[in-house]
Amino acid sequence: MAIDPTLGIAAHALIVDQAALGVVGNNIANVNTPGYTRQVPVLSAASELGGGTFHLDGGVLLQSVQQILDPFVAKRLLAAGSDAAQKSAVSTQLTALVSQLDDLGGSSLTTLLGGFFSAAATVSNQPQDTAARQGLLGAANALANEFNRRSAVIAQLQQNADAQIVGDASQANNDLVQIAQLNDDIARELAQGGQANGLRDQRQQVLTDLAQKIGITTQEDPTTGEVTVASAAGPVLVTAGTVVNAITTQPDPTNPATLGGNTLHKVVLQAPSGALVDVPAVFASGEIGGLQQVRDGDLFTASQNLDTLANALATAVNAVQTQPGAVDLNGNPTTGVPLFGGTTASTLTVLITDPSQVAAALSTQPGDNQNALALADLASAVQAPLGGTFSGYAASETARIGANAQQAQDLASASQGVLQQVQSQRDSLSGVNLNEELTNLLSFQHAFQASAQVISVVNSTLDDLMQIVT
Amino acid sequence: MTAVSRIADIQIFDQLRTQATGLEASLAGLQAQVSSGKRFQTADADPLAAGQVLRTDTAIGALGQYSSATQFGTSVLGAEDSALGDAVQIMTRAQEIATEQANGTVTASDRAAAAEEVHGLLQALTSIGNTELSGRRLFGGLALDAPAPFASPDSAGYDAATAYSGSTQGFEIKVGSAPSERVRISTSGDAVFTSSLVALQNLETALRTNGDVAGQITALQQGQQAISTEQTSVGARENQLQTLQSQQSSLTLDEQTTLSNLQDADLASVLSQLTQGQVALQAVLQAGAMIAQTTLAGLLKL
Repeated sequence: MAIDPTLGIAAHALIVDQAALGVVGNNIANVNTPGYTRQVPVLSAASELGGGTFHLDGGVLLQSVQQILDPFVAKRLLAAGSDAAQKSAVSTQLTALVSQLDDLGGSSLTTLLGGFFSAAATVSNQPQDTAARQGLLGAANALANEFNRRSAVIAQLQQNADAQIVGDASQANNDLVQIAQLNDDIARELAQGGQANGLRDQRQQVLTDLAQKIGITTQEDPTTGEVTVASAAGPVLVTAGTVVNAITTQPDPTNPATLGGNTLHKVVLQAPSGALVDVPAVFASGEIGGLQQVRDGDLFTASQNLDTLANALATAVNAVQTQPGAVDLNGNPTTGVPLFGGTTASTLTVLITDPSQVAAALSTQPGDNQNALALADLASAVQAPLGGTFSGYAASETARIGANAQQAQDLASASQGVLQQVQSQRDSLSGVNLNEELTNLLSFQHAFQASAQVISVVNSTLDDLMQIVT
Repeated sequence: MTAVSRIADIQIFDQLRTQATGLEASLAGLQAQVSSGKRFQTADADPLAAGQVLRTDTAIGALGQYSSATQFGTSVLGAEDSALGDAVQIMTRAQEIATEQANGTVTASDRAAAAEEVHGLLQALTSIGNTELSGRRLFGGLALDAPAPFASPDSAGYDAATAYSGSTQGFEIKVGSAPSERVRISTSGDAVFTSSLVALQNLETALRTNGDVAGQITALQQGQQAISTEQTSVGARENQLQTLQSQQSSLTLDEQTTLSNLQDADLASVLSQLTQGQVALQAVLQAGAMIAQTTLAGLLKL
């Protein structure tokens, strides 16, 4: 009488142990999968096996396969990811600015400014020497080219940051669509009695990716398993299987920070009706926030300061070159012959190509060098628009940009540290430990072997019975 | 934070990766210091020092410029000094001749010979006034490749008083940052030589016309005085430039020391850090290899 239930218990235990081995195997397989949450089989003793007059405890049941995770740590991980992505974007951009301006390398503006005024001083020593005058024009051209190069570098970095913002916005929108889809899938699987562990991991990965682009908050519905995603600034983006507010970009020709030749973009929300809603706060954090901060702030300021320097230089040099009484090598007045053209760093050019047109003299007396001396004096003259000398201003600007980059690097490194800390907390709980899994493997293997042994024993008892009967 | 009771494999390897890449990055930084000899390569590594490096570089460049102007000025003033010395000799000789010839006992032929010698002195002084240094008129505003500022005494209608046609513009060099830090290195030939030339021409005329030779001596003395005074001034400015030059070298040295302190890598310390970093990296990698071996899978005969 008791033989049948025992067989049933052992046979069921075999199935449960096999399933448990499957869970362990899955954990081991995903030991290096980013974002994988380890799973444990939740076993329980079946209360009773029905039938007959005996009451026998009914073997083992696989109640569920549970993910080991802490939802609060998961939320903190998203927030830390947003912050780290924002700081890292700023740091990367500002470091690129420092490295491309290359102030301590071969193309220092201060060196070229020094070279220009040094060439002017050489003209003052040799006012009638064409080679010295040619040297001054060469130095002026080198200086103008460097201003042009720097201006182009900054504009290009702004263009790159903008392109990255557009790409990020598109990626963020894809994430929203995927999250809505996964919400649907998870709700369906839960409704069918499943647990959707793999889908949850997948959705968490998409949420992680989205959080790196913009700051978000999430709220999971405990019954349907669907997650509602809202911007950290308020507006809801995804509820259940619907993208409530899509993310898109549009050209923003009125952005005051636009640098020469660039078309910048604005990231906006798009309602299902297609209407665009401009909520800047939504995109103030995450990588998009960091990129916008650099694009519209740091790069714009660097460009403006460069323009201020270029304009002050052109104005001051031209004022000397064209001052009343100034004459060129042939004694002709240079009132209408400025040295520099342009009022910004990108447009700065050297207008004079004939070295004899440099005004070194303030009289037609042969060998007069008074105007060349005045030009050389500009090197150490305090310029009102700059609040200092030309090279002093350039050096301060180098230090300012360097300090901003250094600060951004420190912030990025700190936020990365926080992210690693939270990630470590999450992994400590949810990550796979191979030794632990191998121990579980042994444990379920032994259980399986024992259950098989039970069947074998029952089988041999049945054989014995059969022999008695026959 | 609660104590970590459990470590996932992914954490072990993440940590290993973070530590190894961090050490490798710091080793790369140290290697850049060794190969460049500089403590930092970009402004973000030490913004304050970077700004100071650029300012110091500018100062060194400017000092170099002042120094080359000073050298140029010294060579010009040196040439002027020597030319003025020659001019003083000429005027001394002219006074000797005038004193000799003022004596009533000299013959007409003596006077004719003396007149010839004075004419030679006039030519010589004119030639000094027209001295060129590297193509530049020493006493004609330092004009380059310019016509002789003094007309030749042999030219038709020569008048010593109006012989000078060169520049009357002073030539200054810039020897410091302020606009006031300039030193005049030109000597106006007009102001220095004209009275002597006139005196010589008058002496020659007096000798040839049997005129008042004795009456020329005072004018000759005054002419020589003008030249001597300028020579003294030239000498004083030469001294000034020499003092400036030594100041400039010492300032340049100071600025270079500042620059070196700002940016030079302390190689001894960098090399020892490099060794330490290499040891640490080796240790991290070795530890990683050991941790990787301590898995149950290796011990079980599965």
